[in-house]
Amino acid sequence: MLQRSLPIFFAGLVGIFMAVQYFVLHPGMARIYNLVLDWKQVVFACTLMLGVFSLIRFHWRKIARRTADAFYSLVVVISCSITVLAAAVFGTETGPYTWLYDRVQAPMQATMFSLLAYFVASASYRAFRARSVHATLLLLAGAVVMLGRVPTGDLIGFELHGQRVSLASIAAWILDTPNLAAKRGILIGVGLGMISTSLRIILGIERAYLGLSRGTGADI
Amino acid sequence: MSLGARLARVDRRLIFLLMTLAVAGPILIPIKLPIIVSKEVEDFYREIEALSPGDHVLLAIDYEPDVMAELSPMSEAVLDRLFAKDTKIVALTLYPGGVGIAQGLLEEAAARHGKTYGEDYVFLGYNPDYSGTMLRLGESIKATYPTDQFGRDTRDLPILRDCDAYRDLSLLVSICGSQLSEFWAAYAGGRYGQRMVSGNTAVQAILIYPFYQSGQIKGFLGGLKGAAEYETRIQRPGQGVRGMGSQTAGHVVIVLLVLVGNAGYLAARRRRA
Repeated sequence: MLQRSLPIFFAGLVGIFMAVQYFVLHPGMARIYNLVLDWKQVVFACTLMLGVFSLIRFHWRKIARRTADAFYSLVVVISCSITVLAAAVFGTETGPYTWLYDRVQAPMQATMFSLLAYFVASASYRAFRARSVHATLLLLAGAVVMLGRVPTGDLIGFELHGQRVSLASIAAWILDTPNLAAKRGILIGVGLGMISTSLRIILGIERAYLGLSRGTGADI
Repeated sequence: MSLGARLARVDRRLIFLLMTLAVAGPILIPIKLPIIVSKEVEDFYREIEALSPGDHVLLAIDYEPDVMAELSPMSEAVLDRLFAKDTKIVALTLYPGGVGIAQGLLEEAAARHGKTYGEDYVFLGYNPDYSGTMLRLGESIKATYPTDQFGRDTRDLPILRDCDAYRDLSLLVSICGSQLSEFWAAYAGGRYGQRMVSGNTAVQAILIYPFYQSGQIKGFLGGLKGAAEYETRIQRPGQGVRGMGSQTAGHVVIVLLVLVGNAGYLAARRRRA
């Protein structure tokens, strides 16, 4: 019982405090606020360690069971161990740890992301089809923004009532007006959603974050 | 096979080859393209130019190697300009994989401008929990980061002698490839009124417009094009300007492929009808 009610009580207490302290300028409030922020960072750091532990445990089990893709799990465990050892023994400023970062991690991450250019090109060719009015509008907007967001966008254009209209200016209008309106609508929706979810957590209605189903307190 | 059918079935390998040529070609044979500075980049430039020597600037280098090609050119240009203006740079990263990038960029720029660590710039390193860090910095930088990236006590660093919270910072520059610029605007800007500008990947820059229009972000650099525009504005052509040829050719190839694909699709539809 206490396992369920105590976390809900603390979540509500901290939630109410964080909402109230925003409007109350008192040194005592500020001290507790800083303490909460410090604890938040400590808890976050602990979750990172938990994440590493879970990752190693997950892959270790796959290696022990000799599954079909156990080799990749072995690569994960060995890479992780070598990196941790390199940092622990030689430090993080110079030596093998920085070499691993500069010569292995950075090129690998950059390469993976660079491959997107090929996938985007291939996917655009295959999937970006004018199948309906909506799809055609999306296609046109996409093409205009793509060409308008590179220097060619300033070169391609026409005169309208004595004013030059370039692809860059049309792309800027698309981003400044329809894009902005849509994004702002989404942001307002997300904001309202965050407020309602926060209230549900503070009031103890939302319990999914504890691994409990709503209301009944039964395990999911 | 008819022309329409051929257009609808271009071999994937040919698409990859075209993309390789489009990206690699302008690197091998540079193309000079006109670069016109946009309003958001001009605003970014004005915010940096408004700084005086000795002003403290918080530089958040929040990205990892995956988007390095797109964001490091703007980081280099901003660092060069900030050092040239003799501002004091307080740098940090909220990504564990960003430590190596930030450290490298800072050391290279400091060497170019003959700046001293601890006096002209400091690298606070990585701190977990982005929202907690952003909020805590508003109360105390030294309490949030008791030591810098190299284990030195931040209370002993001359650069932080008179600087301990957002109120002591003239500007926040957030360079990131994720939503962190929006969070900096909400936490540092919303709660503590911190003035800020941002540099973002082209994909992320689209999401920055609402914050720019409302004045929460005073100016921003969008992707490699933004970096190229800023380099042009400060008359320091670098990787951004050099990359424009490849980016332009890449975009043109994709648009042409979309046109070819649609020509094939429409021809096939007409045949079926």
